[in-house]
Amino acid sequence: MIHLIKNAINEGLLNIRRKLGSFLITLLMVSLSFMVFDIFLIISWNLGTALKNEQENVGIEVFLRDNITEVEAVNLADIISGMEGVRSVYYVSPEEAEAVFRADLPEQADLLTLLGPQFHLPASIQISLQPDYRTSDKVGGLARTVSGMDGVEDIVYGKEYLPGLTRAVDILAKLVILAGLVLAVSLSLVVANTVRLAVTRRALAVQIMSIVGAPGWFVRVPFLGEGLLTGVAGAAGSLLLTVAVSWMLSSSVPHEFLPVKWVMLVLILGASSGAAGSWIGMKSGIPKPRS
Amino acid sequence: MLTFQNVSRFYNDWPALENINFKVQRGEFLVVSGPSGAGKTTLFRHIWMGDLPSIGTVEVAGYRSDRIRKDDLPLLRRKLGIVFQDFRLLPERTVFDNVALPLQVAGTSPKAIRRRVFSLLAEMELNHRRSSYPHELSGGEQQRVAIARAMVAHPVILLADEPTGNLDPEVSRRVIDLLIEINRSGTAVILATHDPRQVPAGTARFLYLERGHLVNPGIWDGYRQL
Ligand SMILES: Nc1ncnc2c1ncn2[C@@H]1O[C@H](COP(=O)(O)OP(=O)(O)OP(=O)(O)O)[C@@H](O)[C@H]1O
Ligand SMILES: [Mg+2]
Repeated sequence: MIHLIKNAINEGLLNIRRKLGSFLITLLMVSLSFMVFDIFLIISWNLGTALKNEQENVGIEVFLRDNITEVEAVNLADIISGMEGVRSVYYVSPEEAEAVFRADLPEQADLLTLLGPQFHLPASIQISLQPDYRTSDKVGGLARTVSGMDGVEDIVYGKEYLPGLTRAVDILAKLVILAGLVLAVSLSLVVANTVRLAVTRRALAVQIMSIVGAPGWFVRVPFLGEGLLTGVAGAAGSLLLTVAVSWMLSSSVPHEFLPVKWVMLVLILGASSGAAGSWIGMKSGIPKPRS
Repeated sequence: MLTFQNVSRFYNDWPALENINFKVQRGEFLVVSGPSGAGKTTLFRHIWMGDLPSIGTVEVAGYRSDRIRKDDLPLLRRKLGIVFQDFRLLPERTVFDNVALPLQVAGTSPKAIRRRVFSLLAEMELNHRRSSYPHELSGGEQQRVAIARAMVAHPVILLADEPTGNLDPEVSRRVIDLLIEINRSGTAVILATHDPRQVPAGTARFLYLERGHLVNPGIWDGYRQL
């Protein structure tokens, strides 16, 4: 059995060596089309990371009426902290707000002095949200509820950019899946075609092997291996090319390369569409043996 | 060991074989002749079960056409050696590798393969040709390589479908002699040929096929009717 498996693999390698030139060209073709996908993935990965960072910052800032007492404010904060989607709340007193203002904007600090001691910044409650609440729909809902509460003067949250960003990432995720599907289908077809050609070219060998008693899998393994190798090596080649491009662009366009998980995903996509392709190619290529 | 029982094979309702009945015993030499298109190749294809009968059953070395599973086909074929008119050697393999093929696809160890192939090539006077490629050989040499490939795994039946069809008379005689010798050493041989006179009287049993029918089976001796 070991010899049999070894022979099947050798047979496959021999087939590839016999047409190394055309195999390499196919590989380059696959790599280049995969590279487009890789770049797409990188863009999507980096935008996704950026959005996540933005979303981390998405919170609601609740400004309180001037006439509210500190006890009432803390009560309000307590109620809010019990609401769904709220991770934590933080009460900012007028004094703290002023300290923060002075620290953050030292050049404007004179402004406060100019306004005199009777002026003070409003107290506020900073709401930070559960991760799955950081979408425009849910933030909006929560904000409406809170703004209707007693003692609330005004509410600020990132409604200007949030819906746009969320939708952009949604669309991007869909596009990536679509591109992956298109790529998988086209790679399968390319491999199916080369395998079908290979089967036709090797029709005599296929027939003779089956006639001298080779098991079906022995005849199929070399073709399957060829498809699998085309897929995996093509995907790996595209990743190498993409690393090179990413490295060249890293100074002008700062970005991150794909995480290991996504790299594996690209390789698995290559392997599975290669295998599927060779299966399709064999299905239409290997004839019933007739003498 | 080989039985055809009421075998008919239709291609689009057209009978290539019709109601064929015969048996071959262990170690027998059977010659099947008949005009072109009579169904000789179709008959052979039923023996190695590359095709199955529309009606009736074929039984070969314990495998029955109506019960055989796909996984058994390789096992059946390892008990058969098959030789074709056009040799069908693999052009990109040396003589050695062509002959070794049936053992390679059966999972025999490389050492055992080397031992068997070397001794067989020596026996068939092909040893000096073992590193040549098929296109470097004469037709007669190619057919002997094909016969070596058919014999390498010690088949119980050797099927030779017009093995001399592409060879001149002198070389043909050597090939027929080789088949007779193989039969003497115990392997059943089934030979399809247009010209049954190639085989000396008394060495073989003869069947005559015509338009898919066996003509006077048991009586026809290959000579009287020609
Ligand atoms: N797969 C097939 N489909 C349709 N018809 C077939 C098929 N195989 C064989 N036939 C027909 O069956 C008949 C017998 O063919 P076969 O090849 O068995 O003849 P043969 O006796 O071997 O002839 P020859 O001496 O020329 O080799 C022919 O008419 C052929 O056209
Ligand atoms: Mg024929």
